[in-house]
Amino acid sequence: MLQLILVVAYFAGCVALALRRERARGRSPSTLRGHARALGWGMLLLPLALIAGGLFYPVRWPVIVLLLLAAGLLAVLWPGVAAKVTPLALIGLGLYGFVIVRVLARGGYVLAYGFLAPGQGWARTYTVLSQIWVFLALGTWLAWHMMDRQSRVARLLLWERQKGQGPGRRPRWGLLLVPVAVMAGELLGFNSSLGQGWWHPVQIVVVVLVAVALIGLVPAVAADLALAGLLVLGLYGLALAAMWPVHAPLPSVFTDQVRYGAVWVVDRPSAVLAGVQGLALLAFGMWLVPRALDARTRALFWPAPDAELAGRVQQLTQTRARAVDTAAAELRRVERDLHDGAQARLVALGMNLRAAERLITTSPQAALALVGEAIATSSTALTELRDLVRGIYPPVLADRGLPDAVRALALDTPLHTEVDIDIAGRLDAPVESACYFAVAEALANAVKHSGARHVQIRMEHARGMLRIEVIDDGAGGADPVNGSGLRGLERRLGTFDGILAVSSPPGGPTMVVIEVPCALSSPKTSSC
Amino acid sequence: MRVVIAEDLFLLREGLVRLLRAYGLEIAAAVDNGADLLAALLEHRPDVSIIDVRLPPTFTDEGLRTALEARRQVPGLPVLVLSQYVEQLYARELLSDQAGGVGYLLKDRVFNDDQFIEALRTVAGGGTVLDPEVISKLLSRRSRDEPIALLSRREREVLELMAEGRSNSAIAQQLFVSEKAVSKHSTSIFTKLGLAPSDDDNRRVLAVLAYLNS
Repeated sequence: MLQLILVVAYFAGCVALALRRERARGRSPSTLRGHARALGWGMLLLPLALIAGGLFYPVRWPVIVLLLLAAGLLAVLWPGVAAKVTPLALIGLGLYGFVIVRVLARGGYVLAYGFLAPGQGWARTYTVLSQIWVFLALGTWLAWHMMDRQSRVARLLLWERQKGQGPGRRPRWGLLLVPVAVMAGELLGFNSSLGQGWWHPVQIVVVVLVAVALIGLVPAVAADLALAGLLVLGLYGLALAAMWPVHAPLPSVFTDQVRYGAVWVVDRPSAVLAGVQGLALLAFGMWLVPRALDARTRALFWPAPDAELAGRVQQLTQTRARAVDTAAAELRRVERDLHDGAQARLVALGMNLRAAERLITTSPQAALALVGEAIATSSTALTELRDLVRGIYPPVLADRGLPDAVRALALDTPLHTEVDIDIAGRLDAPVESACYFAVAEALANAVKHSGARHVQIRMEHARGMLRIEVIDDGAGGADPVNGSGLRGLERRLGTFDGILAVSSPPGGPTMVVIEVPCALSSPKTSSC
Repeated sequence: MRVVIAEDLFLLREGLVRLLRAYGLEIAAAVDNGADLLAALLEHRPDVSIIDVRLPPTFTDEGLRTALEARRQVPGLPVLVLSQYVEQLYARELLSDQAGGVGYLLKDRVFNDDQFIEALRTVAGGGTVLDPEVISKLLSRRSRDEPIALLSRREREVLELMAEGRSNSAIAQQLFVSEKAVSKHSTSIFTKLGLAPSDDDNRRVLAVLAYLNS
């Protein structure tokens, strides 16, 4: 009792001293609060020192007093250093617990570990095991939060080669590999046949070192391993609960002991406890899966609307709107042409014929003139209809497909035109039509503006891509931005994810390139 | 003169039949699709056939392809191809066998029945008749920097009529000049285009077309 009072008084004295030092340094309230947190973590060293002192058997008070003094001095004089030592001390204490577990398993005796005094029989091991994981978890969590992210160790751990980069999300989870590896090692009880004396701590240290090396060298693999380990360990816990007492699902070399994390499984209640722990691990693992997997693997399981896809949707929305606009404008043009052209001519035709009918008995000559006029009108109407049809969907395109339609275009062009076409088969009609009018526009521009003498048209379909080049040897300097005709065609091609590019340096040559991703249907069945 | 007609539109087909009968021609067969047309052409071997380019079942260039196929099997079988539109590409294909007896006209030309029947007779006689629209396209294409630019206006007119399959006398009549003048013009044309002069109307047309199509 006296000892307890002394220890508490010592704690209080240390805290009071540390706070005085802080005030003496004149910290402002805001930084004081921040520093109080570091002070608190540093103060944690004191109970840790007490626990560490308790590990020695038989109890050696001088050792405990020395440890307490050192911890108190550190916490008061260099609170920052103490705060950094705390997580390391916690982890070390936790790891040392595994040694104690083995000592107990061998029938050895331990006075105390942590805050709970080991009881009798399996309960002793159980109290140690559960505390081990509390210490380890707290230590790791503290280490993670207090780590200077720019320090060399941190960057090595997190595989951050470049300074100034925050720790990546993925490698961070790789740190979990340390506890997972330790837990797996304990579960399998490997080396237990060798597990005598000094070998116990070495085994744990080796496991930890291997895990740390993996994290440092291949952080991505470490993250995957940690994740897989979590899931497997979780499932193993569930299996333990379900199958006990048949035995552990995995052959444990250490047959008389199944140490599953914080649980030492010896009977049904402890097996159920192991199941609960397994469930927690499994849940944590599942929660972690979408966070720890890299983007590509994640996309396999969780196809999320990524930026690329969103961009694509936006592009499709735009091109669709344009396509609808273009189609509507085209329909209006056709309607206007029919209304002002063929329709008007047919009305005139009817009127002429009606007039001729009236005149035919009284004045046959006048009637004859009217009939002649009617014939001329019908001929004009036909010509206009023909032109209109050609503008909507050129008959030769319907008859023969794009290659021959382009050849026909070339023949109608009053320039030397060289056509080189390597396409076997038909394309979709809308694609053919869009490409045809694009080539027609390019040719028309070459005739009208460039002063070219020769035009070369190349057309090929390879790897799902139709590529058309129209090259003239004219003066160049064409401005595709102001060429509204080409703009419209570019929009039209855009509906099929096609592009139209114009290269026209002053002095020529002008090159119009059209690329449309599209498939070829079966080659022509007949040709002539 | 025995004629085979291939036209899928009933009204137009019957109109043609009536027109040809009115001119005293004999209708060997009047069909409405490509398969029947080939059979009729090979069976009747008509003096001339009138074929619509677009025929069932494909409603593309079935008629044209059937005509070419028939001429492949029966070289020089006279065909007059009609279409709602004319393409140089098709004209070139029709002329490519150089056998003569080919016509390629817009359907509109049927309105002018006298000229149409004359064209029909020219084709039946082994001549070549091309639609003025094809001719003008042919000429415009080679107008910039070719010897054709050296032709005078009158010579061009003569050349156009020549390509339509007109004889010297018909050209003379059309242009209101003497036949001798036409002959002089045509000699000049052949010289300027570097072609061997010839008296045979059809050869003359073919030579000009071969040059234009080269």
